Amino acid sequence: MNFSATCKACSSLFRIRMAEGLQYRVSAISGVFVSVFWGLLECILFTVFYTYSDNGAWNNNGLTLAQTLSYVWLAQGLFVLQTMSIDSEIMGKINNGDVAVELCRPLNLYTHWFVKSSAGKLGTSWLRSLATIGAGLLMPAGYALGAPASALGFVCFLLSVVMAFVLCSAFAMLVTAIRLNITWGDGPTYMLLLLSGILSGTYLPLRLWPDSMQTFLYLQPFGGFADIPLQLYVGTLTPSLALPSIGLQILWSAAFIAAGRSIMNHKLKSIIVQGG
Amino acid sequence: MIAEGKIYFKYLRMHLLSGMEYKGWWLMLIQVFVVVISDPIATILLFSRFGNIGEWTVAHIILVYALAVASFGLAESLCRGFDYFPWQMLRSGDFDRLLLRPRSLFVQVAASRFHLHRLVRPITGICAIGWALSELGVSLTPGKIAILAMALAGGCIMYCGVFVLTSGLAFFTIKGLDWIFLLTNASYQITRCPEPYMPRALKSMFSFVLPMLFISFYPAATVCGWGYPQWLGYLSLPAGTAFLGCSLLVWRFGVRHYKSTGS
Repeated sequence: MNFSATCKACSSLFRIRMAEGLQYRVSAISGVFVSVFWGLLECILFTVFYTYSDNGAWNNNGLTLAQTLSYVWLAQGLFVLQTMSIDSEIMGKINNGDVAVELCRPLNLYTHWFVKSSAGKLGTSWLRSLATIGAGLLMPAGYALGAPASALGFVCFLLSVVMAFVLCSAFAMLVTAIRLNITWGDGPTYMLLLLSGILSGTYLPLRLWPDSMQTFLYLQPFGGFADIPLQLYVGTLTPSLALPSIGLQILWSAAFIAAGRSIMNHKLKSIIVQGG
Repeated sequence: MIAEGKIYFKYLRMHLLSGMEYKGWWLMLIQVFVVVISDPIATILLFSRFGNIGEWTVAHIILVYALAVASFGLAESLCRGFDYFPWQMLRSGDFDRLLLRPRSLFVQVAASRFHLHRLVRPITGICAIGWALSELGVSLTPGKIAILAMALAGGCIMYCGVFVLTSGLAFFTIKGLDWIFLLTNASYQITRCPEPYMPRALKSMFSFVLPMLFISFYPAATVCGWGYPQWLGYLSLPAGTAFLGCSLLVWRFGVRHYKSTGS
């Protein structure tokens, strides 16, 4: 199958999944409630720590309270890009044996699923994400999302968000490829997803982790999910550092895609189709 | 009643055995353990960076938090079916089959799912309660153990109420129940904030709408003597039961108005 036909198939798959996601607007709205609640809770928690704790005034590793609050709100917005569980449609196919049907299609399975799962993720999430960030902007002054550190920083932030989306999708596909090994159950994949979530910075801004871990936290792949764009926004990463940071995201995306493809190809050679 | 109990345990046994068929079933135990352990890491890291908040140390927070998590875990283990109900049973139309059986609907739904690994959460939570109490230098007397046990039971009942409420509401909304996450996994996160510093609105929402503080904070305060009225610590059971009662009303109403979906 030639390249242009693949592109065409992918773009229509993408459109179908996006439209499908938009069907569930109520679900997106209720998702916004959760994100806003969560964001507020984090804001309260950080305010308490910054204001009342023993070392609150100085021990914050360059991240001020205002920056932390912006970080929290945007993290809630970016959080939706992350995979919490494998795309339910693909998961169903793995479990009931429809992988066999998928293999009959004249389209590379990895590409097919990559497009499908990333579009499925984006379909519902951009609405939720924008609404959450909007809510963050409307919060009373003490808890509000602040302005970006600089105009250039904001551009870098946007670029980095796009890369974060690619990176998240690539990682989700790597996990899906691992999940093809059906007899292992859900355990290993969930552990991988959990690990990525914790190290992404949506859990706790990576700057607030112990100082000795900072280099590791910067270089590990999952910071690219949220931490790198967010730091570019709040200004703890200056625009001059944007290039290496976004480069890091690209590098890890390539690594994840390569690993995902090879694991999937390897697995498909000896796949056991379950169900009927 | 006895027959229903028998069925309940038969269901649990069946789910347990079918779960064990997966070669990697024990991986799930580790996975949940990792989830449970990693959840409070953010709080612990914050305390290590920022130091104590007044007299609130990490042990205070962990105690309140663990009480909430353990009771959530218990409810999740025993009432797991309700948690899955809206997503799996209602939308697929499988609920129709349950309605045909001459057995209690509550038991059938509650036991429609059981995962051994869910028990990891309450067990870890109870261990964490023990750790926090010893860290705070509280010696356990039978009276205090009774208060803690009541808090766990009350919390378990309250969270069962949350699951039942979700299922009851699902009859009307079918999809779009993500906000219920506020009452389940997000609700115990509020215990990470020290109670005296909690904004009033949050405090009243989580004492009167969802009696969260009554099953976690007040029992802990009574056991450790943090200067709150003693009787507040004993309200966990009544508060939890009241919440479950309201949820059951919604559930009843939902079942009566059920129109089949799915195929």
